[in-house]
Amino acid sequence: MDWGKVKFFLGEVFANLTRNAAMQLTAIGSVAVAIAMLGTFLFVQRTAAAVSDQALQQIEVSAFLSDKRDLKADSGLIARTGALPGVAHVAYVSKAQGLKDLRDKLRGEVDTSLLTTNPLPDVLRIRARHVADVPAIADAVKALPGVADVQYAAKTVQRVMNVLGAAQRVGLAVIVLLVLAAFQIISNTIRLTVYSRRREIAIMQLVGATNNYIRLPFIAEGVVAGSLGAAVAVTLLLTAQHELLPALAQLITFIPFPTQAPDLIPLALQLLGAGALVGAIASWISVGRYLRV
Amino acid sequence: MIELRNVSLLYPNGVRALDAVDLKIEKGEFVFLVGHSGTGKSSLLRLLYREQVPTTGDVYVDGIAVHRMRAGAIPRLRRNVGVVFQDFKLLGGKTIWENVAFALQVTGARTKDVMRQVPRCLDLVGLAQKSRMFPSELSGGEQQRAAIARALVNNPKILLCDEPTGNLDPSNTTEIMELLQRINTKGTTVVVATHNQAVVDRMRKRVVRLENGRIVGDEERGFYFLGLGQGQVLSG
Ligand SMILES: Nc1ncnc2c1ncn2[C@@H]1O[C@H](COP(=O)(O)OP(=O)(O)OP(=O)(O)O)[C@@H](O)[C@H]1O
Ligand SMILES: [Mg+2]
Repeated sequence: MDWGKVKFFLGEVFANLTRNAAMQLTAIGSVAVAIAMLGTFLFVQRTAAAVSDQALQQIEVSAFLSDKRDLKADSGLIARTGALPGVAHVAYVSKAQGLKDLRDKLRGEVDTSLLTTNPLPDVLRIRARHVADVPAIADAVKALPGVADVQYAAKTVQRVMNVLGAAQRVGLAVIVLLVLAAFQIISNTIRLTVYSRRREIAIMQLVGATNNYIRLPFIAEGVVAGSLGAAVAVTLLLTAQHELLPALAQLITFIPFPTQAPDLIPLALQLLGAGALVGAIASWISVGRYLRV
Repeated sequence: MIELRNVSLLYPNGVRALDAVDLKIEKGEFVFLVGHSGTGKSSLLRLLYREQVPTTGDVYVDGIAVHRMRAGAIPRLRRNVGVVFQDFKLLGGKTIWENVAFALQVTGARTKDVMRQVPRCLDLVGLAQKSRMFPSELSGGEQQRAAIARALVNNPKILLCDEPTGNLDPSNTTEIMELLQRINTKGTTVVVATHNQAVVDRMRKRVVRLENGRIVGDEERGFYFLGLGQGQVLSG
């Protein structure tokens, strides 16, 4: 390890950071705002996804089995249904069980003693892992031998999928915008430092420094600005989570907020990484534009 | 060491700075480039450190075909060619020591080599005592000596000087020229573009004369004006 080299390099980076201190602070602040918004947004999106997943667990595909089927093939049928892609769970509900369930459900409302015969078929109740898979699963099950008909809450599934799809598109747009904003801010800052150091750069080129070597301190500068901004944002988010979420959770009881700290740690790391990456790429590009001969 | 074959340089604005130039400079030579302002002296030097690419013709520096060199190979060429300018081009925020060391450090040199080469070059130009000062605390001559030390720190085979004494008084000029002569004696090829008649006439080196981008004269032990010493011009 050549400490003299390390010291020189750090000195150059530090010179970059301090030369435009006010500008750097603006950049860090703006990146912090962009990333805090991004973080808040991702957090909300995740919460919404958790909520919708939970709601969707109630959506089931019911496969009504034909009375004329080969009863001995039932275990094979259940296994084949369970093996279909996207299927989370299959339950077999026999005619008799179905009638008993119905009686329990209607007790007190209807005189169930009127049900003397059992009009119900045997049923497979199928749960999907994701709501998006439900229609495909329903089609596949319907094609299986011994299945007379298939039912599910098609309208609800469609509506939920529309909402989720729209949320995803909007979310993607918001993320792209925020990343672009952070990117723009950092590359403007770097362009200013590059400009203020153009004499150094010209001399570096004159004495035979490679372009990569010239770039390095600026990239380090971008990474520092990006990750400092992200760190500020993450601090804000963690504080907000710690202080605000418990209060919110008490107010809005129907949403299962993830309140424990571990939920936000991967998100925080992702945001830090995003800040550093955006900083590095932004500086790479803005210095590169200057170095091209 | 340096060879130009039928070199022309046309700037994008349409100015023909060099026109069918042929020039050969051997290893260890000391050459003056003279001519009126705007005749292409600086442009010729710029071809040699690949700041400009010739429009047509071939440029060879130390065996490298500079005219068809990849951009990625430029740093290696520049480490073999030291360049000194009229305005010194020192970094005001760095001490003399740091300025000279900078040229080595940005090439990724090992600290061990920096610690050896920088004092050697500062000694050579006689600035060892002032290495901790900033450029603004030095005289013009001293600043130019610092710039020469920086140009030499990579041990280049060629030293190019574009009006190195343009900003200096006569005594500083003499000092700098003596320094360049000493560097040349140690084996470095030196090319100096200058307007300084006294210097050229006193040193009596090879003189390459440019006019409107063409070479119109090339004499061993020449004078600033064609075939004439300073005194003769004044009396004639
Ligand atoms: N970067 C450039 N772009 C366009 N034209 C240029 C450029 N540099 C120089 N020129 C033109 O090329 C011609 C030669 O210029 P150059 O600088 O080589 O002359 P010079 O001999 O060094 O002059 P001086 O003695 O004044 O330094 C001039 O007409 C000048 O205007
Ligand atoms: Mg010139």
